[in-house]
Amino acid sequence: MYPMDRNDENTIIQEFTSGEYKEGFVTDVEQEFVPKGLNEDIIRTISRLKEEPDWLLEFRLDAFRKWQGMEMPTWPHLDLPAIDFQDIIYYAAPKKDKDRPKEIDPKLAETFEKLGIPLKERDVLAGVVAVDAVFDSVSVTTTFRKTLAEKGIIFCSFSEAVKEHPDLVRKYLATVVPSGDNYFAALNSAVFSDGSFCYIPKGVRCPMDLSSYFRINARGTGQFERTLIVADEGSYVSYMEGCTAPMRDEQQLHAAVVEIIVEKDADVKYSTVQNWYPGDADGKGGILNLVTKRGICKGSGAHLSWTQVETGSAITWKYPSTILKGDNSASEFYSVAVTNNYQQADTGTKMVHIGRNTKSRIVSKGISAGRSQNSYRGLVRMNAGAQNARNYSQCDSLLIGSRCGAHTFPVIRSDNPTAVVEHEATTSKISEDQLFYCNQRGIGPEEAVGLIVNGYAREVLSRLPMEFAVEAQKLLQVSLEGSVG
Amino acid sequence: MGYGNYRDPFVGLRPPQDDKSVIPGGAKESYTVQAGEKLDLTFVVLPGESRDIDVAIDLVGEGAEVTLKGLYLCGGDERVRFRILMHHRSGGCVSHQLFNGIAGGSSRVTFDGRIIVAPDAQQTEAYQENHNILFSDQAHVETTPQLEIYADDVKCSHGATTGRLDEDALFYMRTRGVPVQEARVLQMLSFLSPVIPAGREEEVERAIRSL
Repeated sequence: MYPMDRNDENTIIQEFTSGEYKEGFVTDVEQEFVPKGLNEDIIRTISRLKEEPDWLLEFRLDAFRKWQGMEMPTWPHLDLPAIDFQDIIYYAAPKKDKDRPKEIDPKLAETFEKLGIPLKERDVLAGVVAVDAVFDSVSVTTTFRKTLAEKGIIFCSFSEAVKEHPDLVRKYLATVVPSGDNYFAALNSAVFSDGSFCYIPKGVRCPMDLSSYFRINARGTGQFERTLIVADEGSYVSYMEGCTAPMRDEQQLHAAVVEIIVEKDADVKYSTVQNWYPGDADGKGGILNLVTKRGICKGSGAHLSWTQVETGSAITWKYPSTILKGDNSASEFYSVAVTNNYQQADTGTKMVHIGRNTKSRIVSKGISAGRSQNSYRGLVRMNAGAQNARNYSQCDSLLIGSRCGAHTFPVIRSDNPTAVVEHEATTSKISEDQLFYCNQRGIGPEEAVGLIVNGYAREVLSRLPMEFAVEAQKLLQVSLEGSVG
Repeated sequence: MGYGNYRDPFVGLRPPQDDKSVIPGGAKESYTVQAGEKLDLTFVVLPGESRDIDVAIDLVGEGAEVTLKGLYLCGGDERVRFRILMHHRSGGCVSHQLFNGIAGGSSRVTFDGRIIVAPDAQQTEAYQENHNILFSDQAHVETTPQLEIYADDVKCSHGATTGRLDEDALFYMRTRGVPVQEARVLQMLSFLSPVIPAGREEEVERAIRSL
């Protein structure tokens, strides 16, 4: 649990009474691009620039051919703009200064500094977080590699992993999200540029939180990163992911894939604070965040926990899911999704129970304001072999203002008489009484909404690692700026 | 946003329905409930019946009130499907839904219920519940209670459960000399009692005993 006293809360509120999207600046660095468009040549170019082995190029081309035969799904409760896939730059990398290949470009360091992401190890918050920073298409740096290597932990960019640990990558890549899984997973498999790779060996407890930070900088580009996390038997890791992008009028595409493999008795905690640029107050610009995240509890007793705070992006469309294959494995999904102005979100989770005595819990808190549309969509599936499996889901929606929408689309399927599933959902608004109570005590309407929303989302926020919890609380405040009165 | 269009939300989540899932003898009904009117409907599906029940209800005037209840008992290879659309087009209306059912044998039950609250349909109260008991390995239950809400001053909730009869309750009754068969019947009766229409208690009890 994360303790916080009233003073902290007050400071946060004060800091953010005039909040706007702070991360919307552009960094002026020299960059390398591949030409706009998508075809086999582009994919070959990307693969060549990254000096990839043949099997990976084949994997990409195979995915691309699958993608060509697919159509963009239309079932979400989203007003998706037509995406011109030929009008996107699929690879943009900051140019390296050849004289100093070991050093990070000071401008890049500055960018991440501004974002509050420390790239120099001595600056890192008391040495508890290792960071992999991804700038457009490439990983800029990964901190604390040595400390981690002593324990046998591999934490590096995806490209390095392909070069240095090809066997591991090949063994696990696309085992949870196959390349033809869905439209955007296929696209990602064809053009993915970089991302993070993480391997925790047997019985190792990762001594620090691992973190990936994604930044879109270049205009007209898309970001397609791929994250692969493997927790071997009995290991533990806490993994965090954060994202930002500059403010632009155009919409930019972000289509990532995250795969997590949790072996016997291993424990993985995955936390996301998603703060991509949400577009302006009139719904212009913003990131299209269309992501496939899936983990598998492969061995018995495996545990995977998802925590997400979604405040950014013009459109968020993702369902972090868990396949509970090992007996006695467990998974949780905790989510806060905030939409304001013209933002749209269709997010939730899937829990597929295959093994015996598997357990899952879903807590989803949706908050919609302005003219936004916020949907929870989820699947809980009890397969015939899931003896004594158990699920509990709770999905609450909070409406702020009369022009937004809040929707809940859960699907429950049971093929096992011993499995128990419970689902519960409520929809409500911030009551006049609560606001009146705060106003009467001298708390302004916006601050009051912030307080109430933070209280409403506390159950989820308290699951976040400490650094993230503070950031997430601030974000909730900023995202709801101007939604009352 | 395509508000109010009945879009099938499960494509991609649900495998395409084969033709066998088309149930003969299906009923499609729609009702419009005006201001101040009350509508009270109960659906009863007894063992041996395959039914496809498709109901659309529009609440169009202030003070309209709708109560829907459903009961289903399947012990063989029945196919039962409910598709309920409760559309609150006007504010100040109340709707309650409660569907309880028991699935055994190789039956397949699908409950697909949706509440839509239109923009400006303020002071709406809409509740929906669907509870299922499975008592065989081959039975299959799929439930999708959905809320689509475009107004803020509303009280809406839904709940759905699937599970089995409470073993502790069974144990309690058995330690007090109630035979296991009888205890099961009592449990099922009490599970269904909120949705049994007045005057049909004995018929439902006979049906439970026939399972």
